[in-house]
Amino acid sequence: MVATSDGGHWVQMRRILPAFAGFELVCVGTEPRADPDLGPVRYYPVRNVSRANAHALPVLVWQLARAIRRERPDAVVTTGAGPGLIALALARHLAGSRTVWIDSIANTERMSLSGRMAGWVADAWLVQWEHLARPEGPHYWGAVL
Amino acid sequence: MIFVTIGSMFPFDRLIRAMDAWAATSPGEEMLAQIGAGGFEPAHMPWVRKLDREAYVRTVRGARLLVAHAGMGTVITAAEYGKPVVLLPRQGALGEHNNDHQADTAAWLRTRPGIRVADAEGDLPACIAAALAGEDAAAGAIGAHAPQAFLDRIRAFVAGPRPRSDPPGGLSRRRRG
Repeated sequence: MVATSDGGHWVQMRRILPAFAGFELVCVGTEPRADPDLGPVRYYPVRNVSRANAHALPVLVWQLARAIRRERPDAVVTTGAGPGLIALALARHLAGSRTVWIDSIANTERMSLSGRMAGWVADAWLVQWEHLARPEGPHYWGAVL
Repeated sequence: MIFVTIGSMFPFDRLIRAMDAWAATSPGEEMLAQIGAGGFEPAHMPWVRKLDREAYVRTVRGARLLVAHAGMGTVITAAEYGKPVVLLPRQGALGEHNNDHQADTAAWLRTRPGIRVADAEGDLPACIAAALAGEDAAAGAIGAHAPQAFLDRIRAFVAGPRPRSDPPGGLSRRRRG
């Protein structure tokens, strides 16, 4: 399962999708419809919640929990932002999934707030800049560019 | 055509106002602006609130220059289609973003081919003129995928076993039963 917000988060995830070739892929996103380039894929639209509209958080949690219970993903991968972080936390507790956080390449000097929180719920906690990596995590495995 | 875009998230009226003023002095230039939730509606260039992904990609492909916020969605899409970009970073202090990471992003990007950074809106006309004169698109398009070594590492990790035992039937069903 990939669970990623639209805009730059999704544009970065698109560049990672070849890593999942041959796997059964399910997508969770904040756009009403799936990216047409994905072709036929199960897609779960969710509310885009940030600090500006945190009141919609219960709706988002319910939508994500429903998708995760139905799909029971082996792994969940996100490039952010907030909804991806919550998806990792829920998948870990509801389905025992492997979880991967890939912080945005836009964060060249420090991780985003959700990226720092992801350290608690990501089995692979990744940044896209080598100088931001630490021995105890986050780690650097490469970048989308 | 020059495509002006502020991405898909927060409004960025400072860029839209500056480009509307630029359009007023450049009547021969075909333009389109994606203004998002901004309160300022341009008078001198066509605009839309938000293009869907297909229309967005079609517009990027048809553009000879993008003038945009310093967001990675715009920057990567422009690079994938080999389009030059002029970037105006959003400033957290002006309420244009949660924080100032776009200034950091721009500082990194300004050395890349095909990218020019306007540190203030007053620098936009000179950056646009230089980008159009230099035909920066000569930088060429990048591929559509991340480097293979990065993909391989993620694939190997994702294919591994679940690190935690999956509760039989799942927590939800257990609670219901």
